[in-house]
Amino acid sequence: MIHPRLASWRTLALTLIASSSFAQGVQVDSDTFGGLEARSIGPAVMSGRVSAIDAVPGERLTIYVGAASGGLWKSDDGGVRFKPVFDKHNPSIGDVRVDPRNPKTIWVGTGESWVRNSVSVGDGIYRSTDGGDNWQKLGLEKTERIARVAVDPADSAKVFACALGPLFNDSDERGVFVTKDAGKTWTKTLAGAPDAGCADLAIDPKDGKTVYAAIWQHRRKPDFFTSGGPKSGLFKSTDGGATWKRLAKGLPEGDLGRIAIAVSPAQTNVVYATVESRKTGLYKSEDGGESWALMSTAAVVAGRPFYFSRLVADPVNPNRVYKTSFGAGTSDDGGKTWSALSGNFHGDVHAVWVNPKNTDELLLGTDGGAYHSWDRGNRWLFVENLPLAQYYHVAVDMEFPFNVYGGLQDNNSWWGPSKTGGPIGNREWSPLSGGDGFWAFPDPTDEDLVYSEMQGGNVYRTSRKTGEQKDIKPSPAAGEPKYRFNWNTPLHLSATQKGVLYIGAQYLFRSSDRGESWQKISPDLTTNDPAKQRQNESGGLTRDNSTAENHTTIFAISESPKNPQVIWVGTDDGNLQVTRDGGKTWTNVAAGAGVPKGTWVSRVEASPFDEGTAFATFDGHMTGDMNTYVAKTTDFGKTWTSLATAETKGFAHVIKQDAVNPNLLFLGTETGLFLTIDGGKQWAQFTSGLPMVPVRDVVVHPRDHDLVLATHGRGLYVVDDITPLRALTPEILNSDFAFLPTRPGQLLIEGAGFGGTPWFGDHEFAGVSPENGAPIVYYSKRRHVVGDFKFEVRDASGRLLATVPATKRRGVNRILWSTREQAPRFAAGAGVIPSLGAFFGARAVAGKYTVTALKNKDTHKGEVTLVGDPRVSYSAADQALQAETTAKLFALVERLTYLVESMADLRDQAADRQAKLGPKDAVLAKRVGAFSAGLEAQRVALVAQQEGEGISGEEKLREELGMLYGNVNGYNGRPTKSQIDRMGALSRDLDAAWAKFGAVSKEMGLLNAELAKRKLDAMAPLGEEAWRKK
Amino acid sequence: MKLLFVVSTLALASLAPAQTVDEILAKNHEAKGGLAKLKAVQSMRVTGKMTIGPGMEAPAVIEQKRGEKVRLDITFQGMTLTPMVLNGSTGWKLMPIQGNPNPEALSPEEMKDAVEQADIDGFLVDYKTKGHTVEYLGKEKVEGTDAYKLKATLKGGDVRTVYIDTDSNLEIKIESKSTRRGAEVEGDTILGDYKEVDGLVIAHSIDAGQKGAPGRQVITITKVEINPAIDDARFMMPAKKEAPAAPAK
Repeated sequence: MIHPRLASWRTLALTLIASSSFAQGVQVDSDTFGGLEARSIGPAVMSGRVSAIDAVPGERLTIYVGAASGGLWKSDDGGVRFKPVFDKHNPSIGDVRVDPRNPKTIWVGTGESWVRNSVSVGDGIYRSTDGGDNWQKLGLEKTERIARVAVDPADSAKVFACALGPLFNDSDERGVFVTKDAGKTWTKTLAGAPDAGCADLAIDPKDGKTVYAAIWQHRRKPDFFTSGGPKSGLFKSTDGGATWKRLAKGLPEGDLGRIAIAVSPAQTNVVYATVESRKTGLYKSEDGGESWALMSTAAVVAGRPFYFSRLVADPVNPNRVYKTSFGAGTSDDGGKTWSALSGNFHGDVHAVWVNPKNTDELLLGTDGGAYHSWDRGNRWLFVENLPLAQYYHVAVDMEFPFNVYGGLQDNNSWWGPSKTGGPIGNREWSPLSGGDGFWAFPDPTDEDLVYSEMQGGNVYRTSRKTGEQKDIKPSPAAGEPKYRFNWNTPLHLSATQKGVLYIGAQYLFRSSDRGESWQKISPDLTTNDPAKQRQNESGGLTRDNSTAENHTTIFAISESPKNPQVIWVGTDDGNLQVTRDGGKTWTNVAAGAGVPKGTWVSRVEASPFDEGTAFATFDGHMTGDMNTYVAKTTDFGKTWTSLATAETKGFAHVIKQDAVNPNLLFLGTETGLFLTIDGGKQWAQFTSGLPMVPVRDVVVHPRDHDLVLATHGRGLYVVDDITPLRALTPEILNSDFAFLPTRPGQLLIEGAGFGGTPWFGDHEFAGVSPENGAPIVYYSKRRHVVGDFKFEVRDASGRLLATVPATKRRGVNRILWSTREQAPRFAAGAGVIPSLGAFFGARAVAGKYTVTALKNKDTHKGEVTLVGDPRVSYSAADQALQAETTAKLFALVERLTYLVESMADLRDQAADRQAKLGPKDAVLAKRVGAFSAGLEAQRVALVAQQEGEGISGEEKLREELGMLYGNVNGYNGRPTKSQIDRMGALSRDLDAAWAKFGAVSKEMGLLNAELAKRKLDAMAPLGEEAWRKK
Repeated sequence: MKLLFVVSTLALASLAPAQTVDEILAKNHEAKGGLAKLKAVQSMRVTGKMTIGPGMEAPAVIEQKRGEKVRLDITFQGMTLTPMVLNGSTGWKLMPIQGNPNPEALSPEEMKDAVEQADIDGFLVDYKTKGHTVEYLGKEKVEGTDAYKLKATLKGGDVRTVYIDTDSNLEIKIESKSTRRGAEVEGDTILGDYKEVDGLVIAHSIDAGQKGAPGRQVITITKVEINPAIDDARFMMPAKKEAPAAPAK
């Protein structure tokens, strides 16, 4: 498929190298990259959309929280801490339901049913029988979304799956399914229609034969959403789902939309339903659904039915019911009047759970995470450790450590650190602008200024320091048509012209003055098809025009880093346009890309290597086309090569070419991140530390080479330093062992010592920062199981500084050398020296070190380079003085240890001789005993002894010297004058102690002479060499 | 090529006989030197160093003796800490670093750990007579390496999921789930650097971490002694110390 005629020599050469070498059967798979783990940095400060909640009442609640696209989370401690339990499976949760008879059995229907424009897709139904540790997929794969799961209250093997079905296309994979054998086989019992699926289902908790189901006719298109039609309706079965009848008496006539159902557990003939219709309202039945009465059309009942359609009946009070909405409401009079749940919680509520054992206790699932109330919804505790952030895009700055910027679905735009000295807490993050956020990045000429967006092309310039914000959205001039901005409007920074900014409506605009003015540099680049500009009529029975259906708009922009005159633009209606003259003329080159006409261009990326080369992803999922489309051109779009293979999965959001190795590509799709190291011939999913979540954006930091991933459902991830990936060649992959290049180890400022860590409790999300140290990266062809495998680090003189244990995995491994030598030997004392630096040996200085891999009998030589922290300002002379002082203090500490242990050793020798002397030598024995006691007295004068007396505060030479050593060792710059003076004084004290110990040799000589007469061994001081070996 | 590879793998998989727990364990015992040799171990002393943080190492010694005897000593800044000793039904610890020069009894949770550690054969040997249950959950990859996955439910209810390398038949990973005051605590241990000592094949690298807690602890074993003489007194709880004597003049 490559056209060598058109390819540059460089591209051709690389292609040939790649194709010739990788054909030799080198298997690149997810485990090849295993040791380069993605670290989750959150944030969880805003969390993300929660679609379903269930819980098991007990002394402590066990809570399951299902996310829209962030997986399933479990707390077994009443809601303090949550852990993900579904990360190997589809992350879009339609419903989670605990078997009422067996709290260890959990059912999960995948595919969220709150079908907004950005909703993800599911892949069937799952069950766990061990509380979420292990899961089994039990079919219904093609239903795409399951709105409800319900377990028969009397029979755990009988389960209903209420399948909403595919959102974007006709399908028979929807309706009500029932299994009687715990999921082995399913039977469809209520069909719905190819465009009408099951939106809600409720079983009578006292009689499993009575079941209610809501069928909903609806459809979403890229440009349109419609809810309602004649196929919608409310149904009831009284024979356990075998037959169904439509309920109509008292319900609205005409087309119906989405219906929510709740049966009162307290009085099961009481049934509530909200029914979307021309007159949406809450209906109540007191005869098991046979007849209904309209109770209310309150806003909380009628608001946005497609998005808010959960009704929850109070477990105890038949007149109390809860309804999700833009907020959430509750009624205590059977649905007649409604009051809003108050307090501070994120709007857009999708799930409510009421504790049947204490109905004042509520759990709430919203667009911004989960909340917990103990006073029936007056005040809320926010769950601070659900990192469900649904990012659209991510950008980085050049601070050290760099910050990350991005916008989120219904949760503003934020910036925060990519790493800190410890956990990255929620409080590290700051908001930029509100609403739904998309692109956000700092101005490269002034990183205080950040561009960010709100839905529909609202773009702002914000000062990070002051928070002051300016609207810089371009507006039409007189006589111009209205600008059409996508929900997720593309904002793009020039790679070559600092400060040049692009934004796309149907036209492309460029600004060179930070958005103060915009220059229109294109005609309408879309199809401008009026049939696709229907957002004003979108919604169906309930009008819904939130800009989410804005269509025939520009969606992707990329200026060539090689030539700013070359600009690529992709549109949501399938145009892929390129200009080679800075916008004067445009050519639509989509036709050759090999995708169905009109397929949404989700990303176009100009190559950093060649102006004619670009990569594009296409996304047809909103027309029901779930294929992965990714393509490359090397001739300005004249011809395209598909890079999709059997390994690539999920509709595609983003493709990025590495800026160093042109064959290293990153592809983000709805099911995760895929990597290729051969330009797209072989792909492997990157799974190390990364769940199967949608990856919407990918950035490689230009200075630090960290890979930053924006996931839509699990926040941001960082894969530190991808240098090793760039170096993976067939030769390396075929070798048993190979060192891989890595960025130099940074001698980062070490965090605060004792007392420097805050104690915030266990409820806050802790983003992962990398541990300090110098990475050693290597490739192992297979796992190392038998025999030694370790690394030795030596300085230029060959002195051994550290032995580092190896990790044993197949593929790429990354370990850390702490850059610290062994701590000095301390004498035993009453307590620990309370200075963090005393726990370590000296820190290595900047420079080169050799690393030797010792793998059984094989040795391999490599190298590690250390560089200083770019933030520190102390001079080389300061650092040299620190190293010299640390070394002196290290020697003093050990010289004291040698002294103290020599005293103890000689003391014990004396005690031994004393014991061996018989009764006739009582006089000598007493003298030897006194000698021993004298040594002990010398020893205890040097080390603190008051153990077991609480905080004694006792300081002797061991403690004083240890403290001084630790404090000097803990700071890499110049020691204070006070420290250096103190070292002199303590050194003199130590000399004096040695002199005093030396003085015992006279008495020892006399005693030895006496001992010799009695054929007893002479006492002798411990030699330094013998001590070192001890 | 790749397709062919997949097909042949499938064929091999279907030809391979279904594994049972006992077959897998028999191979595992054999790989470790054989059941007879394993059971002939009466005592053991393991010396190594424990990395308790980056660049922070502490020498450690574990002594074990049949009859529910185990002792762990760690040396830190010249001080010896003894966080776990079991002597039959008595468990104690001596942690002067925490301010008490006298031994303290182990808590029930610590006792549970000590009892598990004191099983000199490991819980997989004679698991039935020890009251544990073990089930085979199929093959699963551990960091890209094929392994047999065994779920062991210990007598007390704690769960250990053991991954045995299908090539060497040696354990390469153990996941643990224990309950502490009714809450679950999860961790994992990666085992490696197996070496032969007196006919037994023993892991010399033990890399452990706890779920949800940063950092890992690596124990590198430098010396293993099989059947050394260990005085029973090592396991006996020492007498309470008298009040510290006033420093001699």
